[in-house]
Amino acid sequence: MRLHRRLVLAGLAGFAVPARAEEPIRLGLLRTLSPAPLYLAQERGYFAAEGAPVVFRFFEAAQPIAAAAVSGDIDVGITALTGGFFALAGKGTLKVIGGGLHEQKGFDLTAVLVSRKAYDAGLTSLEKLGGHSFGITQFGSSFHYMIGRLAEAKGFELKSMSLRPLQQIGNMLAAVRSGQVDATMAIASQAKPAAASGEAVIIGWVGDHVPYQITALFAATPMIAKREAALRGLARAYQRGVADYRAAFLAPVKGPATAAAIADITKYVFTGDPAAAQKITEGIGWYDEGGALDVADVKAQLAWFQAQDMVKGPIDPAEIIDTRFLPTR
Amino acid sequence: MTLGLRADGVSHRYGAVTALEGVSLDIPAGETTVIVGPSGCGKSTLLGILGGLLRPSAGEVTVEGSAPEACLNRLTYVFQDFALLPWRTVAGNVALVLEPHGLSRAAREARIAEVLAMTGLSEFADAWPRQLSGGMRQRVGIARALAVRPAVLLMDEPLSALDAQTRELLLDEVWATVVWVTHNLAEAVRLGERIVVMSRRPGRIRAVLRRGEAAASEAGLWAMIRDEAADAARELAHG
Amino acid sequence: MRRGNWRMAEPVPFRARGFVARERGWAAAVTLLAVLAVWQIGAELRWFSVAFLSTPAAIARALWHLVISGELGRDLGASLGRLLGGWLGGTLAGLVAGLAIGLFSTLRNPGMAVVSALFPIPKIALVPLFIIWFGIGEGSKLVTVGFGVFFPMAISTIAAVDAVPRNLIRMGQSFGLSQAAVVWRIVLPGALPALLSAMRITAATAIILLVAAEMIGAENGIGAFVLRAGNLYDIDALMAGIAVLSLIGLAAARLIGLAERALLKWR
Repeated sequence: MRLHRRLVLAGLAGFAVPARAEEPIRLGLLRTLSPAPLYLAQERGYFAAEGAPVVFRFFEAAQPIAAAAVSGDIDVGITALTGGFFALAGKGTLKVIGGGLHEQKGFDLTAVLVSRKAYDAGLTSLEKLGGHSFGITQFGSSFHYMIGRLAEAKGFELKSMSLRPLQQIGNMLAAVRSGQVDATMAIASQAKPAAASGEAVIIGWVGDHVPYQITALFAATPMIAKREAALRGLARAYQRGVADYRAAFLAPVKGPATAAAIADITKYVFTGDPAAAQKITEGIGWYDEGGALDVADVKAQLAWFQAQDMVKGPIDPAEIIDTRFLPTR
Repeated sequence: MTLGLRADGVSHRYGAVTALEGVSLDIPAGETTVIVGPSGCGKSTLLGILGGLLRPSAGEVTVEGSAPEACLNRLTYVFQDFALLPWRTVAGNVALVLEPHGLSRAAREARIAEVLAMTGLSEFADAWPRQLSGGMRQRVGIARALAVRPAVLLMDEPLSALDAQTRELLLDEVWATVVWVTHNLAEAVRLGERIVVMSRRPGRIRAVLRRGEAAASEAGLWAMIRDEAADAARELAHG
Repeated sequence: MRRGNWRMAEPVPFRARGFVARERGWAAAVTLLAVLAVWQIGAELRWFSVAFLSTPAAIARALWHLVISGELGRDLGASLGRLLGGWLGGTLAGLVAGLAIGLFSTLRNPGMAVVSALFPIPKIALVPLFIIWFGIGEGSKLVTVGFGVFFPMAISTIAAVDAVPRNLIRMGQSFGLSQAAVVWRIVLPGALPALLSAMRITAATAIILLVAAEMIGAENGIGAFVLRAGNLYDIDALMAGIAVLSLIGLAAARLIGLAERALLKWR
């Protein structure tokens, strides 16, 4: 009986493997500007060309992307490295395989935004953030991590701050503009208009003080185990997308490559927006060459979340990072 | 020295149904007037109008005479469905109607004890209404009405729960004007000083009989009411 | 077969069996304990993965850590304050509005129109708006809970007032009770059972809305704790928080049960 069942299972697996190789890889992402290299790779047919056809599965928030990989609804994803992400990865269900968006010195990506009221009352530099209220999306989010690392770098006490989880980026902006919180963080494309309106003031950029691998490409463990060849194809296509992205936006000179990339990106975000080109060039973030992963920083992030007791239990960083697919920084 | 009632051309309509039509009636002070008639003839409606709980569609009711000083509620009802508050004990239900009148606590308790004794409920002062039989609940309703020393007692079938002796004893002790709606013809003859016989719907006064008149017998009343019921059936048949 | 047998003599069988609600309190406790035991044993025997479903022992452990670290006390204190304040405010306001609408016919149609229009709005959707109106602090949280409690309470109060038998009110009037006395001595006590039932439901509503209210801008509180644990996929802590919410619900139901027993002796 037992033998019989095993045979059946083996038979099923035998049929399943070739069938799945034909299946497109389901890739989870947010419909924002941050995964732009993936838009380029898809629009330019790199995934198909590398034998790893991809379908995008768009999500409303970063957190469910990792959860969807655990539940088997997507195979690969690009998302922020949050406390929740590390907790799921620590259970052996996900592995980080490559780098995404990265904070870079001199490359203004995430601003620290202070309400006009707090600024006038003397909150004029990052060192003075201690003791103030600070809007984040959720506990364990990238914003929580960034303010934590900023506290270490600038020598103020994170514990002295009152962190306000506001769930959505829109709420964070609204709260700082109306003075409900003293400070928050926002990406350049949102921080600059807020500062221009005079309701808030930018007192610094995160990337100038804290190196930070904001987002990363990850794969569900079964994907790595069973479809390694397809994943390698996906990694190659991703690298071509990143190369195009860097040539279009991160090179000192903007040229026809920039316009072409904007045309492809607007198929996903800012569709039909007359100011799309400006919004994209202002909001663009840093990607390391070759989609490289900042392994040291990922380890530092994990260590920080563990030190804060937000990620529990011993997790071996080697167990949650797989560097066989993409280069490291 | 008590009150009498006079109805002048009282009619009442519920939507399209005329329950009473042109009822004029004298209820002399101090007498017991019994109202009888076929089912649905508007007896209870008339009682409601007499006590000011229903507004007549036409006509009016006047109250005449003067109420004794001890009277706390001139026109007092005893309800057919008892209308007891289930969240108050027997004593509490009686107390309810004394509370607005600023009696001292002692006076109030004395009066409650008195009316409970009159209705044979002394042992049940602390019982909840749900613990009582239907007949005992009726007695609570009577006790409550007596507690306010009514000038006019308007009773809708309230005495059926009392045994015959208590009934007569009670009516002897109550020195108020009594208007009593009943189906019990034998009692109507025995207890009523005046008997008002109503016609079938729309209710009109068919006869007003005094005690001792030839027609004021059980058989006489029965004949009149049976006639009315037969007429109603004939109307339905030939409709 | 036995027809015509005039001399038969046998006991009359008792036939009115069953269909009686009988309380067996221990059965409830045993059932819950059995569920917990099966859950724990299932986990020990690896019937299912414990990665994303904690065990009762792990939850108890997480709960114990929360107790000794003082975190539970802090969160519970903050939440109970919001729960009690919001619930009391919403309940009282709902009671007053419901009584006014139920008693005064001039208010009935306008009042019902407003209440019926606002009742079905998911209060959770209003949380961001409440934050702008009432601030990010305790104000918006109390209003979220209170607003959510207000509508079911007002609607139940209107229905409860309507359900007070009219003959009792007429009786009071026939004995010359003032309007105030009729409301205070007849309408309110008559509506009380329905009002207490409504409070059972609004207590549960208040707990749901507490979690929603603590989603935004709350540094502490059981709702905030549960959301934080959810964000961090800290399954043990998440389920410990849910257990605490459930216990708050049970405690609220128990308190209302005690109030019912004390106030509705007459039933």
